[in-house]
Amino acid sequence: MTAKVSPPNIVILAAGVVMLVGSFLSFYGYHSIFSHQSFSFSAWSSAEHFGLFGIATVAVLCGVVMATQIAIAAFAKGVTLPSNVLGLSWDQIHLALGFQAAILMFAFLARDSGGASLGIGFWLMFLAGIALLVGAILRVTFATAK
Amino acid sequence: MDAKSPPTPAELTILIAGAVMLVGSFFSFAGSTNAWGTFLFPLATLLPLYGVLMAAQIAVTKFAELRLPGRIAGFSWEQAHLVIGLLAGLMALGWLFTDIANKGIGYWLEVLGGIVIASGAIALQHERNAGPIR
Repeated sequence: MTAKVSPPNIVILAAGVVMLVGSFLSFYGYHSIFSHQSFSFSAWSSAEHFGLFGIATVAVLCGVVMATQIAIAAFAKGVTLPSNVLGLSWDQIHLALGFQAAILMFAFLARDSGGASLGIGFWLMFLAGIALLVGAILRVTFATAK
Repeated sequence: MDAKSPPTPAELTILIAGAVMLVGSFFSFAGSTNAWGTFLFPLATLLPLYGVLMAAQIAVTKFAELRLPGRIAGFSWEQAHLVIGLLAGLMALGWLFTDIANKGIGYWLEVLGGIVIASGAIALQHERNAGPIR
């Protein structure tokens, strides 16, 4: 791949960055009626038994791996990635990771968060998850159309 | 894949792990809530669903002798098993490091099942000579 990045790869690259940035912002937030304090938790927080670190971070990992592969293939001169990993082409890997990121974010959306509100970090990650899947599907579509 | 032959070790691994994950999903995952309960559904339910999907594909081709299409969404069945199995394994590891309280027997069955089914998927590729894993 040359430095010219195809539209699907741009979508994945941007979504991966948004996913990573969103993971450091508020995923869940709640206001305590007892202490009158507001609390917020990112995808890396391991507190309050929300199950964020470990699970929401899987979606982040998917986005980061996808974006990194594209960045290396497009911009890292002299670095050649293997054409397939464990018998899977990169298109298939992107499709699998994009699906996993999207389904995890939909699962978080559907989950009863017990009164906690969804923060800006969640919504960025949710949109990025969809974009990663769309980008992966477009990659396959572009490859088939060529 | 020969539908009339008995299940191979890798197929048995996937079948058993999938069944364990399905059964485990009805036992307590966190506190007294199972994987289908409030606060956990559908997040904790993804893991048993992946396991059931893989076990069901093996079961219908082995025992019901159903002929499925050779590929699904551009993946051969061996690749589909590998991808779903590895994603299940990744989620199992994720659950292992998460902060949920009072981990129950269902939790441990899910985590264990996720790791075992990932190894079963890798072994399946090896058995069927379907990829570079030899």
